[in-house]
Amino acid sequence: MSKPIVYVGMSGGVDSSVSALLLKEQGYKVVGVYMKNWSQDLPGMKCPWAEDLADAKRVAVKLGIDFLVWDFEKEYREKVVEYMLREFQAGNTPNPDIMCNQEIKFKLFYKRAMEAGADFIATGHYARAILGGSCRLFSSSISQELNGGGSPEPSPAYIDLLRAADENKDQTYFLYRISEEALAHTIFPIGDMKKPEVKKLAEERGLHNAYKKESMGVCFVGEVGMKDFLKEYIDTQSGEIREIESERVLGYHEGAVFYTIGQRHGLYISGGLPYYVVKKDIGRNIVYVSKNLNHEAIWTKELKLKDIFFRANSAELRGRQISVRLRHRAPLILATFDGEKLYFESEIKRPASGQSAVLYNDEICLGGGIIAD
Amino acid sequence: MIYLDHAAATPVAEKVLRAMEPYFARDFFNPSAAYLPAKKVAADYIEAKGVIAHAIGAKAADLVITAGATEANNLAFTAVGGKASKRALILYLETEHDSVRRVAEACGGLAIRVLPSGVIDLADLRAKLTDEVEMISVSLVNNELGVIQPLAEIAGIIREVKLDRLKRGVKTQLLLHSDASQALNLLDINVARLGVDLLTLNAAKVYGPKGVGALYVAHGVRLSPLTVGGGQEKGLRSGTENVPGVIGFAEAAKLAKEHLSGNRKKYTAWREILLKNLQGYELINKKHTLDNFIVVCYNGIDAERLVFLLEERGVYVATGAACAASKGVRSHVLAAIGLSETQIAGSLRLTLGETNNEEQILEAAKIINEAVEIERKRLEI
Repeated sequence: MSKPIVYVGMSGGVDSSVSALLLKEQGYKVVGVYMKNWSQDLPGMKCPWAEDLADAKRVAVKLGIDFLVWDFEKEYREKVVEYMLREFQAGNTPNPDIMCNQEIKFKLFYKRAMEAGADFIATGHYARAILGGSCRLFSSSISQELNGGGSPEPSPAYIDLLRAADENKDQTYFLYRISEEALAHTIFPIGDMKKPEVKKLAEERGLHNAYKKESMGVCFVGEVGMKDFLKEYIDTQSGEIREIESERVLGYHEGAVFYTIGQRHGLYISGGLPYYVVKKDIGRNIVYVSKNLNHEAIWTKELKLKDIFFRANSAELRGRQISVRLRHRAPLILATFDGEKLYFESEIKRPASGQSAVLYNDEICLGGGIIAD
Repeated sequence: MIYLDHAAATPVAEKVLRAMEPYFARDFFNPSAAYLPAKKVAADYIEAKGVIAHAIGAKAADLVITAGATEANNLAFTAVGGKASKRALILYLETEHDSVRRVAEACGGLAIRVLPSGVIDLADLRAKLTDEVEMISVSLVNNELGVIQPLAEIAGIIREVKLDRLKRGVKTQLLLHSDASQALNLLDINVARLGVDLLTLNAAKVYGPKGVGALYVAHGVRLSPLTVGGGQEKGLRSGTENVPGVIGFAEAAKLAKEHLSGNRKKYTAWREILLKNLQGYELINKKHTLDNFIVVCYNGIDAERLVFLLEERGVYVATGAACAASKGVRSHVLAAIGLSETQIAGSLRLTLGETNNEEQILEAAKIINEAVEIERKRLEI
């Protein structure tokens, strides 16, 4: 019998390198793929793609596996970057990594790998995909209904997306929108491991990137930060910074779209206690701030979600107590969900609109949605 | 370690290092300062410039010291586009390094073709040498192939054209620039014999320090500074002089001249040994090449994988030029000489140098053969 074929996305980092290594040692025929999503340098921002590609290839050569470069730049720009810019311009704070997983890694890469003859794809995400599900309460027909019909053909098996063994690194927050079909063909080789173990294994096997600095989030934003990146595409437009309680003008900003609720840096207001951004009026280009950490605009007991994505098992969540994650690595908060709104037991700090709320039942990711205004 | 990438960088020679050392902490003075110890440093600096200039048959006053060859190349192009010429045109060889190509392209340059050997197509040069052309830039040695260009012959054509322009009353200047970064220790460079108006030199390629280069500027050629300030280097390159760097460059230039013929003989012999012991390759740079340059192609194999396999085994080699390869772009040089995509992908550049010996060359051949075999097995070819 020929070996099953896995196409593994290799970014040049230690996580995807060790993933490829493990698959190879487990006896798969492994093909490494570097997804070239962004290569453009911007003034003062060197995109590290060529070095990342070399790191990925170096590991592939060491493992003796085939290695390919797939160019998704056009699609990444259309599906991820343009979405991101559109959302920021609408006053939201989108998460491009979630979109990248949904549209690029677990759609384009998945499809292309399958067309190329793969049996599975794999990535270096800290997450687990478990066949069959352990504590399902409802059948999939409900989830298909919830997802607006979907494919009438039942999927080959139910695959649950589970939080990683390393709670500190769990990346299911970024994966909640990936398709059931892709998940059913995905291996997360390091989902059962802790990060220090991954690094140690890389070192033991002589992988040169065992201690490579982790790339944080969107590579092209890199070290300069989102604001500087956005300025390349969105014109600055000066506007007022007002204290929300008094409507007093405290200063000026370069564009309300560059600010996020809760932000307290880069306001150029001096003296006394720090001010926080509590509200943005995109239409009038006004940023509202407050010194009052208890201001009602910051706190809420409920959140409305839109563009909700239900996973196969998500019917479990109706009316039940579930856990919610509002940011990557943020602690889980208990809540109930009525299909549109999340209700929290006590007040939470309001996350920025455009971010995601990801829902869990114990370890199982149930899906999630985008936080509405 | 067996280092076969001397065209990318050379280690600083022991003698060079020793010559530079006093100028970091002991003789650290600013050459522009008024007191005597500083004047001594200024004198040493001028003397060192003289040594570098002498190595190419020029005088200290003809050199502008820069921070490397890229800057010297950029500075050379400021000779074009003065007040008289609105439609200045630059011709450059299509196989030039990016530090020439990108500047030339930015000022509306036109590429001259090379023949399949990598040597300039003189017919193409003549055809493109219209009255608007102000400058021609052709590197003495190509950095990816080691191919030596017939500069004196090009200079001859330029002389003819200049004479003809003079007869017809065409006032446009016509300058010849050459990047000779790779060549100082392997070719006898003389600016008068080559007939160049501007010549780029680089210490880092000839066992001198990195970040030091020079531009030879013939009498009467007018440049504009890229950096302004204190007016050093005759106002063409402001900034406190890199004294240790220039002292080191001078020592490196001196050594290059002393060992010129010895180096050539040694590298020619090693090149032959390497070519005899390597297996299953096609030699790309057959003729008109520097003695230490070997470009071999393993068609069907990804040379980049070989680089990583060899790196693991302690042998350091290159695919195209280091900068081109790190950007993930295929070599424009290998494309220009008519290699196919798979030939370009399968090409390795091996450049010999002072860190090598005959034993290493034999060992390297063996390891390269093994790496190629690993890839052939994987691909089942």
